[in-house]
Amino acid sequence: MTAMNMAGFPILTTILMTTIIGLLVIIFIPPEKTKLIKQVSLVSASLGLALCLWLYHAYDFHKGGLQFVERVLWVKSLGIYWFNGVDGINLPMMLLTSVVLFTGVWTMWELEHRVKEFYALIFLLVAGVYGVFMSMDLFWIFVWYDVSLFPMYPLIAIWGGTRKEYGAMKLTLYLLAGSAFILPAILFLWAKGGGHTFDLFMLQKIGFSVFDQKVAFLMLYLGFGILAAVWPFHTWSPVGHVAAPTAVSMIHAGVLMKLGAYGVLRIGMTLCPQGAVYWSHLMALLGTIGIIYGALAGLAQTDLKYVIGYSSVSHMGIVGLGLATLSVNGINGAVFQMFAHGIMTALFFSAVGFIYDRTHTKVIPELGGLSKTMPIASSFFIFAALAGIGVPLMASFWAEFLVLTAAVKVFPVAGILATSGMILSALFMLRVVQRTFYGEKNPKWEHIPDVSMFLTVPRVVLMSCILFFGLFPKVMLDVIQSTVIPFVTRF
Amino acid sequence: MTDFMLFLPELFFILGALLFFIFSLRKSPNPAGFHRWAVVLSAVGLLITVASSHQEGMLFFNCYRVDLFSQIFKVLLALGTVWVMFSSSELKGIDSRQHAEYYFLIFVCTLAMMMLVSSVELLTIYVSMELSSYSLYLLVPMRRGEDRYFESGVKYFMIGVTSSGFMIFGISLLFGVGHTTYVPQLIKALPAVIHQPAAIVGLVLTLAGFFFKLALFPFHIWAPDVYQGASNQVTTYIATVSKMAAAAMIIRFAGLSGGASPGLVKLLIVLSIASMTFGNLVALIQKDLKRLLAYSSIAHAGYILIGILTLNSQGFASAIYYAAAYLVMNYSVFMVIMKVADDGHNLQIKELAGLYKRSPLLAMTFMLGLFGLAGIPPTAGFTGKFLVFAAAVHKGYLFLAIIGMVNATISLYYYLIVFKAAYLLKPVKEYPAIAVDMWTRVMSIVLVVMTIYLGLFPDQVVSLTEAAARTLF
Repeated sequence: MTAMNMAGFPILTTILMTTIIGLLVIIFIPPEKTKLIKQVSLVSASLGLALCLWLYHAYDFHKGGLQFVERVLWVKSLGIYWFNGVDGINLPMMLLTSVVLFTGVWTMWELEHRVKEFYALIFLLVAGVYGVFMSMDLFWIFVWYDVSLFPMYPLIAIWGGTRKEYGAMKLTLYLLAGSAFILPAILFLWAKGGGHTFDLFMLQKIGFSVFDQKVAFLMLYLGFGILAAVWPFHTWSPVGHVAAPTAVSMIHAGVLMKLGAYGVLRIGMTLCPQGAVYWSHLMALLGTIGIIYGALAGLAQTDLKYVIGYSSVSHMGIVGLGLATLSVNGINGAVFQMFAHGIMTALFFSAVGFIYDRTHTKVIPELGGLSKTMPIASSFFIFAALAGIGVPLMASFWAEFLVLTAAVKVFPVAGILATSGMILSALFMLRVVQRTFYGEKNPKWEHIPDVSMFLTVPRVVLMSCILFFGLFPKVMLDVIQSTVIPFVTRF
Repeated sequence: MTDFMLFLPELFFILGALLFFIFSLRKSPNPAGFHRWAVVLSAVGLLITVASSHQEGMLFFNCYRVDLFSQIFKVLLALGTVWVMFSSSELKGIDSRQHAEYYFLIFVCTLAMMMLVSSVELLTIYVSMELSSYSLYLLVPMRRGEDRYFESGVKYFMIGVTSSGFMIFGISLLFGVGHTTYVPQLIKALPAVIHQPAAIVGLVLTLAGFFFKLALFPFHIWAPDVYQGASNQVTTYIATVSKMAAAAMIIRFAGLSGGASPGLVKLLIVLSIASMTFGNLVALIQKDLKRLLAYSSIAHAGYILIGILTLNSQGFASAIYYAAAYLVMNYSVFMVIMKVADDGHNLQIKELAGLYKRSPLLAMTFMLGLFGLAGIPPTAGFTGKFLVFAAAVHKGYLFLAIIGMVNATISLYYYLIVFKAAYLLKPVKEYPAIAVDMWTRVMSIVLVVMTIYLGLFPDQVVSLTEAAARTLF
């Protein structure tokens, strides 16, 4: 830790610290003071949100590039740096993380079972997510990546629902099997780069032979692809979502799955551009299959959470397809879709979580006519479904539009198939909405109270996020584009 | 006088052993008093070892080298001994009349291992090795209770004696091709003759003696039975302290080939892969916690070997780091086992149920220990695996890193099963809360902090291990 290279106030480390300090404070609060634990969690999550909003505001997209850089030598002999920074790609992701954490903590306000451990684990998980998004050093990206994965096991296995222990074990093993490819790939790139730096941009400057790029990119794509629920490695995802408690589903589908796509983009496509070109057809193929398969599988489900789980597979396919185009619009759209999908699934799971807490079922045929008894809760779900279909004025509309136009240009067949997949996805979303919220009213649910004012807040925050970026996509696209345009020149 | 200072840690442990020998002659045993003596003596021993950690020099007609490499391992040995002594407060597995002998043998064994890591002459190495082995042969069957525990002692003895027979044969071959028993001269002589079968066979047979100690596949057969059959404290000692000495000696002897022997490297690669895979797969089906940890130790022997088989200083440094991390993590787990099974019985995994309620602090120590063993950041175990794999990939063994990581994923399954028992399962019957005294609290916090500190801030330790590895060449 000799060469100090700190430009001003370390805002990114501070954002990371809000979660770690929150975690430490929670550990020292006695477990029976649940109210205090929730308040501390909310304060620390809001602090993170405020800092991320400020960061987003302060980022100068005219200048572009890496800003708010912090760089300290960490382990001298291997060349590991504590190296954080934001650019147009990870800035939206940081914002997404803070929004989902904030709303997730608020959504779980009614939790009673082992409250202390729940919030402690949530903060550990989110510390990992923040860490991955802000780090520009391969060692730290991997460390934070693993830190964000293993809390999923207790979170699902203790507080989960349907087949929780099976779902938790499957998810954890699948995701950590992904790291079995990622770590060797990272070490491979490090060794090929001379073995004295893990700094992403120094490695980018060194450059690698085309063969090495092909090998490394494939390993990174497989490793991170598992987390991004790329077909055929998606099977953990619906099972895990169904088993997980509400806030965990929100954070998991909303943020964690983005880590996978982000990893492919940040490490794979940055360090191995030629590898990405070589494997782009595979990526497009798997992305397209994911879109269509997710939609078809979603069509057949009777469990609300399974429906959303498969819709996530479908939507993450769009991200994969966008990245595969290797074009400005495609990658813009992919990053935007990561953000939009994150907010949207968070809203989905948040709405389903509420319905499930009250009715103790998420089987679609047992519900029905909910819009009459729980109009507010239903409206959240329907709003999310509209966003999922990609109705104009929603953030996801722009994202899907960008990806599909780029895809049709680069991969005409895949693009057209993917576009038709969107129709399928509209079909299954509307089917779910129709069966769950309209139609015959189930008298069993008549006396169930609707969402209280207090608990609407997080859902309204998510809805306004979707609408805001749907109405003003430029606010986000300007930022993303500032980084993507120089990025694609390398392909 | 300076020679005397170089040998100070060993001298101190000789005196400690003598003291317990005298205690053992007393008619009326005083277990609590012995335990206090043992903790204080071993703690002073640790302080002396740390204080003399930067000394360098040669002793006894150049048979005995004190350098950074040996001193680091002596500190680890002394640290592990203090921890085991600390956990011997309730030595229920051993008859109270034998407690003085137990402490005596542990001190002798630590002394022997300290001499082992400093020895640079083949016969000195062999004698030190036998001294430590015979102490363990006596410690294992000390456990009171059923006869089948005694069986494990016999098994350990038989296999151990056989492997040391192979080892002395290997040493004789090394002497035959190198015309010397001094390791520094062998380092110069061996690379020239390494292509002769006799040299390879000699080296491998000598290594086999240490592989036995490290419980590397296929020299592992004793491990599960001995782990299960020995009393919890002795198992802890075997699983932590004696592994350090074995790792040190494998590093020293692997360095002998001068890094220019493809045959040896291939053999080590095969052994390492077999050890990882076998250990992890068999561990999946274990019910007894100590047996499970025995198989996990076989797997960990494979990981350490990955660092060693690169045969360069980076790899050796990573292996030293891994050994140190392994000491901390494994002791964390064993300390909790000894506390939970305070009557000295063998703990089944399902008996851990509800541990998080019985003692949250112990549960946390246990969890971090397990996650460390599984190689999940930010623990020392992760950083150890990272360094070991980095050394392997740097040398061009990408496939070893992939196989290692796949194995880490397999191992995660059984660590999660144990974790699940401690944190999720409801106990079948009501267990009382565990009485955690102040010292155990302090120790738990020290272990937790060490695990995370070593994991996140490895810089200083890594440069220390690299300096130590350089002294080998």
